[in-house]
Amino acid sequence: MFTYKQKHEQANREAIATVVALVVTIVVWIACGFGLAGLDITLFHTPLWVIGGTIGTWICSIVVVVVLAKKVFVGFDLDDENDVSDSEGGVCHE
Amino acid sequence: MNSIAIAGLLPVALFLVIALVIAVFARRQAAAGGGGFVTEYFIGNRSLGPFVLAMTTIATYGSVSSFVGGPGQAWSIGWGWVYMATVQVTALFLLYGILGKKMALVSRRLGAVTVIDVIRERYQSNALAVLSAAILVLFFATTMIAQFVGGAKLFEAVTGYSYVMGLAIFGIAVILFTTIGGFRGVAFTDALCGIAMIVGIVVLAGGILSAGGGYANIMDTIATNHPEMMEPLSGGNMPIGLYFTQWLLVGVFTFCLPQSVVRTMSYKDTKSLHRAMIWGTVICGAMMIGVTALGVLSAGVLTGNLADYGGSVDNIIPTAIVQSLPPWLAGIAIIGPIAASISTVSSLLIASSSAIIKDLWLHHVQAKGERAPENTVVRASQVVTFVIGAVVFVLSIVPPDVIWKINMFAFGGLETAFCWVLVGGLFWKRASKAGALLSMGGGTLAYCVAMALGFKIAGLHQITIGITVALVLMIVGSLVGKPTDRKALEAFFPES
Repeated sequence: MFTYKQKHEQANREAIATVVALVVTIVVWIACGFGLAGLDITLFHTPLWVIGGTIGTWICSIVVVVVLAKKVFVGFDLDDENDVSDSEGGVCHE
Repeated sequence: MNSIAIAGLLPVALFLVIALVIAVFARRQAAAGGGGFVTEYFIGNRSLGPFVLAMTTIATYGSVSSFVGGPGQAWSIGWGWVYMATVQVTALFLLYGILGKKMALVSRRLGAVTVIDVIRERYQSNALAVLSAAILVLFFATTMIAQFVGGAKLFEAVTGYSYVMGLAIFGIAVILFTTIGGFRGVAFTDALCGIAMIVGIVVLAGGILSAGGGYANIMDTIATNHPEMMEPLSGGNMPIGLYFTQWLLVGVFTFCLPQSVVRTMSYKDTKSLHRAMIWGTVICGAMMIGVTALGVLSAGVLTGNLADYGGSVDNIIPTAIVQSLPPWLAGIAIIGPIAASISTVSSLLIASSSAIIKDLWLHHVQAKGERAPENTVVRASQVVTFVIGAVVFVLSIVPPDVIWKINMFAFGGLETAFCWVLVGGLFWKRASKAGALLSMGGGTLAYCVAMALGFKIAGLHQITIGITVALVLMIVGSLVGKPTDRKALEAFFPES
């Protein structure tokens, strides 16, 4: 079980991971949009950079949040249980 | 009045009735749930599950400009505008990932009900709380007016009823359901609005695709008429600098908008947050990319010049609805933008009311060592919510200009005011009262002055000036000023 301090440390780690996720999304957005704009390729009457820059970035953001939610973020009780540990050991709240 | 006009009105009326029923249901559920009135009315007793959390965040964030102004620009600029709008896929995960858990932990520890509560406790400053409340109410009011105006104009253009009648129908509905349902009612109706927004997009997509003779045909028409619309820089209409500043304005810094941040204080548990982050990103991306793409595709149907459509890109989507859909489907399609409008208004309305009741009045009463009777708080909260709504409604009757600009002015102003105060407050121990006051006051002032004068650096949108000035002032003020009392920091930076 996490202490209040450990929960904050975990939340800080998650915040940093989120900024990394932002950077990844920006790089993919540039690469799949501007990066593909020079190519004269169209799919379904649509320039490739449009598909990459919009749907590609969207899919990337979904992959990124799934990784964050499943691999990086940790579930814990948001309510304080400081007093539980010393005086009410074993008593389960809620 | 004819059957066409009735067909246009019926779906909206039905939708609003359902919203009112949901608000009454939320009120009943709240009464059964127990807990203090203020925590319930302004934050729904911290009980939102993943679906409602994701939908209320998206619906608050997605406004009438996402449905009218943005796609209108896309009609004129092309796919570059959609590419730019795609940056909004980051909005939800930045909010939940950066602030989500910190705000939930801190607000529970402090018993905070509003974002301003948290700011006041963190910086131990009443002046900062009052300044925050003033900026918030001012910018929220202008945004609410812009939302009302946008929704009513669209209603008028599509149904043929008068502007004032449209405003009256959904304006009164939104004021009522917010007053009755409080935050929980707002969150529940937001979920309904989110669904309505998706339905609106799908219906309009069907109309545009069929009116334009199918997707391939539309794309070929655009490529022939306006080849630059197929380029990311749109023949110079979409400069790199605009991409950069839109990333800041509607992407990166949206996570510190107080109307979004309050949602991170209202969810039930971490599981809800994790799930909301995934589903919210899926839905938000589909919605923002989808609705903006409809603007481009309407260029395959509305092939005239801007002057043919009243000289304003804000007329494009209403015209596309009228021209591509039969009246009864047009009536369903306009629920989308109207839902976007009222879901933003309801969230801003309840947050404005909380700023006045909780952050100004109740704090003032408590500071004097008194307690306000519960009944008085209940009545005052509802009266204030109703009165703010009524004032905004009246101001919307004689509409101010250009939805897009007012909305963007407020958007950037709120980001400038709250960004470093929140980020510094939660992640930088040294951030102090002096830094926060300077950052919020100086940054917002710099942003507003630069906007008003049209002053730009390197041709970039003034958000760059606001956010930079606010950051520098936060750092300098905090390093020079007295650090925050250690005891006050315990909830934010626990030492054990």
